[in-house]
Amino acid sequence: MTTGEFALRTDGVGKRYRKGWALRDCTLALPAGGVIALVGPNGAGKTTLLRLVVGLLAPSTGTVEVLGHDVTASTSRTLARIGFLAQDHPLYKRFTVAEMLRFGRACNLRFDQGLAEHRLAKLGIPLDRRTGTLSGGQQAQVALALALAKRPDLLVLDEPVASLDPLARHEFMQVLMGAVAEGDVTVLFSSHVVHELERVCDHLVVLDNGRVTLTGDIDTLLTEHRLLVGPRTATGPERSGAVVETVHSERHTTLLVRDGALPVAPGWQARPVALEDLVLAYLRRPGVDVTAVGAA
Amino acid sequence: MTWLIWRQHRTEVCVLGLLVGVFGIALLVLGTQAHDLFPGGPARCAGEARLDEACVASFRRLDDEYGFVENLLAAFYLMPVVIGAFLGAPLLARELEDGTWQLAWTQAVPRTRWLAAKLAALAGVTAALIGTFTAVLTWFRRPFDVWEGRFQYDAFDLQGLVPVAYALFAFGIATAAGAVLRRSLPAFGVAFGAFLAARMAVGLLARPAYATPLTSVEPVPAGGSEDRAGHRPGVADWTIDHGYADAAGRRLTSSEYLELEAAADRAGTNLNQFLHARGVQQVEVYHPADRFWAFQIVEAALFATVAAVAIGVVVWRVRRRVV
Repeated sequence: MTTGEFALRTDGVGKRYRKGWALRDCTLALPAGGVIALVGPNGAGKTTLLRLVVGLLAPSTGTVEVLGHDVTASTSRTLARIGFLAQDHPLYKRFTVAEMLRFGRACNLRFDQGLAEHRLAKLGIPLDRRTGTLSGGQQAQVALALALAKRPDLLVLDEPVASLDPLARHEFMQVLMGAVAEGDVTVLFSSHVVHELERVCDHLVVLDNGRVTLTGDIDTLLTEHRLLVGPRTATGPERSGAVVETVHSERHTTLLVRDGALPVAPGWQARPVALEDLVLAYLRRPGVDVTAVGAA
Repeated sequence: MTWLIWRQHRTEVCVLGLLVGVFGIALLVLGTQAHDLFPGGPARCAGEARLDEACVASFRRLDDEYGFVENLLAAFYLMPVVIGAFLGAPLLARELEDGTWQLAWTQAVPRTRWLAAKLAALAGVTAALIGTFTAVLTWFRRPFDVWEGRFQYDAFDLQGLVPVAYALFAFGIATAAGAVLRRSLPAFGVAFGAFLAARMAVGLLARPAYATPLTSVEPVPAGGSEDRAGHRPGVADWTIDHGYADAAGRRLTSSEYLELEAAADRAGTNLNQFLHARGVQQVEVYHPADRFWAFQIVEAALFATVAAVAIGVVVWRVRRRVV
């Protein structure tokens, strides 16, 4: 894949369910390669956005382009390049693991059975067990092996570790990151946990109340944003346009600003901001359109 | 895809296959014995002209020995809905229930092709199972049909084309209900209810009106029903209405008829002679037996059309990604 190609481009995408808009006016351009995290609270519209990306849903407005193709058409060729792991990693519970692999082979022209078997063997997951009898962590691993065996160019995961215990969570992320390191795959995954994202992700999309509130390369975002700490004040330095959040303590005022690296006003100190605090600050920001309703 | 469809639906297919097999074999065994009562085959006794002593004896034994089986056949009214709804309900509902639709429709097989393959395969199995069963049942009923005709509810509804159309109707409704309700069991229930309602409404209200019925008006025979030779309609015809008319041909209401009956009682004469003397005529409204296939085709087309509409709704929903 050439650099500069977009893994995902959305233009004014909205999705309306009967009860209201789950996603509004979502315009994104996410680069190919690397790991993209989609972050937001429950009901922010993450699942809706991901289902739109893999063509499970059709947008009410706008267009979704994946790997340069309109995904609404859902042709074999586009579908073959996308791997998807839905929330709670659904599998056919009465199928054995081997039958799940046969399912993958039956439904895909490109399916690397050997790769999947190899991964599962390494994890000690027996092929002759029914998937319904496996632990949650093992089911997630089977679903991941299935998605990776398609050798997708874009792998989309919806809350992949939300239902797993800490150990399974760690193991899952390890396998996922191993796969990223091995190949050219772009990974887009959603999470409502902000913790540890910095270590894993290159790119960030923050979704709140059905709208994108922040998107960008994580390193760039961390360079652009910083915390300014100074004496407690009502107004703060004359940069209110760039102020994301203001927090007053007894004697100090802490501002989260997006101002690049402008010189700091006298009496104020600049500090780098942690990714988690940055995301939380954006999620706390009021003024987001309240007509959007969550539909997870 | 063939393997996947078989793997996902083999339980239903096997259970239904077993059901059809067990009942089919039972009918074949009993039917062979029943057919053996007619040395030249039951067709030899068809028609009142050919009804000789031997035939009458055979029919009597048939009624004595196998009449109860014929009554039990009514249970097979439900065979089409059991087969159709059992295969149709989980087609989409189970995927939606378990979340596996997200797995199935993100593989390289586009969802419309996935759906087309599933619909074709399972509708095919539905038609094959009910078709086989209907063929056996039709064969089993042959001696009964020769005697009673095949236009009565207990024959018409179990034979020919209509059971296949009923089953496809149940399949289509169950599939569509599954797509909307997203759960198998309620979808099965909806299909069951729709089947009963549609079958009753069509059988009682629509079917008599598929063609203009014929009316026969004849004087009441003086000697009662014994000397109604050549009188139409016969047993094989489907009488949908009967009553009496006066000499001028005006239909008598039931109270008028009861008055006549009371008058005959008071006069102390035989009712038939009494009616005959007054020129009262018997009126019978009926469909002749040879309309059987025309009626079968109309009713089958009716149910098949509804099935096609239901399937159309399913395809539309899946294509438009409503589910």
